[in-house]
Amino acid sequence: MASRSSVIVWTVLAHLAAELPSARFGLASAPVRRAAWARGLRRAFERLGPAFIKLGQLISVRPDEFSDELVAEMRSMQDAVPPLPAEAIRSVIEAEFGVGPDELWATFDDEPLASASIAQVHRATLAAAYRPVWGESLPAGADVVVKVVRPGAAASIRGDVAVARRLAGLIARTRLARRFDPVALLDEFATTLERELDLRVEGRFSDRFLFDFRDDPKVVAPRIVWPKSTARVLTMEFMRGWRLTEIEAAKAAGVDCFGLAVHGATAFMRQVFVYGRYHADLHPANLFVTPDNTIAYLDFGIVGYLTPEERMNITQVMAALVYRDADRAMRYSERLGVHVPPDRVEAVRAGLGTLLDGTTRPDGTRDFAHFGLGFLSLLGEHGVRIPSGYGLLIKSLATVEGVARALYPEIDIVATAQPFTTRILGAAMGDPARLRERMPEAVRAALRVLLT
Amino acid sequence: MTDDVMRFFAAWMLTHEVADEGLKAAVLRGDEGGAEGMSGGADAFVDGLAAMVAEEKEKLKRDLEARARGEEVAIEQPRDPALEEVRFEVAELRGRLDNIESLLETLLRKLDR
Ligand SMILES: Nc1ncnc2c1ncn2[C@@H]1O[C@H](COP(=O)(O)OP(=O)(O)OP(=O)(O)O)[C@@H](O)[C@H]1O
Repeated sequence: MASRSSVIVWTVLAHLAAELPSARFGLASAPVRRAAWARGLRRAFERLGPAFIKLGQLISVRPDEFSDELVAEMRSMQDAVPPLPAEAIRSVIEAEFGVGPDELWATFDDEPLASASIAQVHRATLAAAYRPVWGESLPAGADVVVKVVRPGAAASIRGDVAVARRLAGLIARTRLARRFDPVALLDEFATTLERELDLRVEGRFSDRFLFDFRDDPKVVAPRIVWPKSTARVLTMEFMRGWRLTEIEAAKAAGVDCFGLAVHGATAFMRQVFVYGRYHADLHPANLFVTPDNTIAYLDFGIVGYLTPEERMNITQVMAALVYRDADRAMRYSERLGVHVPPDRVEAVRAGLGTLLDGTTRPDGTRDFAHFGLGFLSLLGEHGVRIPSGYGLLIKSLATVEGVARALYPEIDIVATAQPFTTRILGAAMGDPARLRERMPEAVRAALRVLLT
Repeated sequence: MTDDVMRFFAAWMLTHEVADEGLKAAVLRGDEGGAEGMSGGADAFVDGLAAMVAEEKEKLKRDLEARARGEEVAIEQPRDPALEEVRFEVAELRGRLDNIESLLETLLRKLDR
């Protein structure tokens, strides 16, 4: 397996070398050089396959750890790979169930619906009715999709993670990384990947999501067909509709994009602020609008979790943004693990104030991405380490904003957060324990007014 | 829980409706409070909350008036969340059993060969 590490090293070197002319052989200005190296690395990662593509996706949400150039480059990483022939997919299914697709489903479409680095998706129809964990039964003949982990994906990813640990050490010595904790980052990375390799984790989250949104008929997710699922094969309801990349077609079909943008953004806020678990891998291909005016969330491969305490602190930070309150943002970010050294506090607060004032667009709506990503790089500039969950959440919110604005350009995502943050903080104020503590004081004050 | 608190504030606001001019001003500010209407800071938050409580208050008022006219008012009674949660957990367990049962069938199938 020494060969794999030399393949990796050579691929990276070859792609960096290809960028030498654009970096004017090292003579160009520093930003130009960094941009050229970043481009070379991104191309090398795309070439090296699943583990590296996922590593790139992880880098793209850590502006605290990596240079702006690298973060921007990794954000544009492509995860579309040539589809595997149906035979390869059929044999994974056969290995998982002991029988082939034709005995498991009424029909199985050999033509893939989508193909990404970890999994390939095929259409099929159910042979027998199934009562899912939540929601109505799926009848026999119902349209489903079968998501199958690519053969060898697990082994190649695990192998590459091991090699990547060594490679991370090399990157750490270049100026691409500002401060770098390769072991911590790779541990986090390995955990995320392991979860994505077991499709049942994703399936369970989809069930949970359906339950969380049981009172909201406009927000849906695929129902899971458990008897036809394993760690490497997930059978789920086929969601009919348009990806957000096909929005023009949806509009032409009369879908209420404005309503869905607001509703979809609100649904995301509810995941974050009410449940503390949210879809952390949203992109326009993972979100559908359907002909009956609902929003379908797909692909729960990466999920963010918040403890009740984190949720409360995040709510406070969001409220700080809604109500433009820099002190509040500082105080509660600190509780989330954003530790600003004492001698930097004033500078960061000032920067934050400027960001809060600058979040309003000319049309009067607020620009969350400007604030969120600006805040992350502000912390980076001052050498403040960003807790991993925080970066993920901010990136997710910025994505939701981008997605919602694609549907409806005038949407104000911060305004959709307002009712949630205000309600939750209001409820915390009305907490019986706190009321009991404060009431006597208030009553005494009232009596004093009456008696004097 | 959240709704209870909002109702509580709403009831309180309703009984103080005539009295408190300061509160009314806060509601107005909170209503307008977009990017411009707010000076920012803790006061802005209180205004925002006040505006939401005011909405709840209007609902409460309508309910009370309807009840005074002798109409049937459906008080939104959310189902017991703890019970719902257990129902979900049982359903989830059933999903896992379905999954394990199929795994068992696969193993038996492979043994037969
Ligand atoms: N239940 C479904 N109904 C309809 N289409 C689906 C369904 N599940 C997946 N797809 C289609 O297949 C594509 C890939 O599926 P999914 O995102 O789950 O795979 P992935 O390997 O995790 O990809 P990614 O790299 O985008 O995260 C989706 O973008 C969507 O277009």
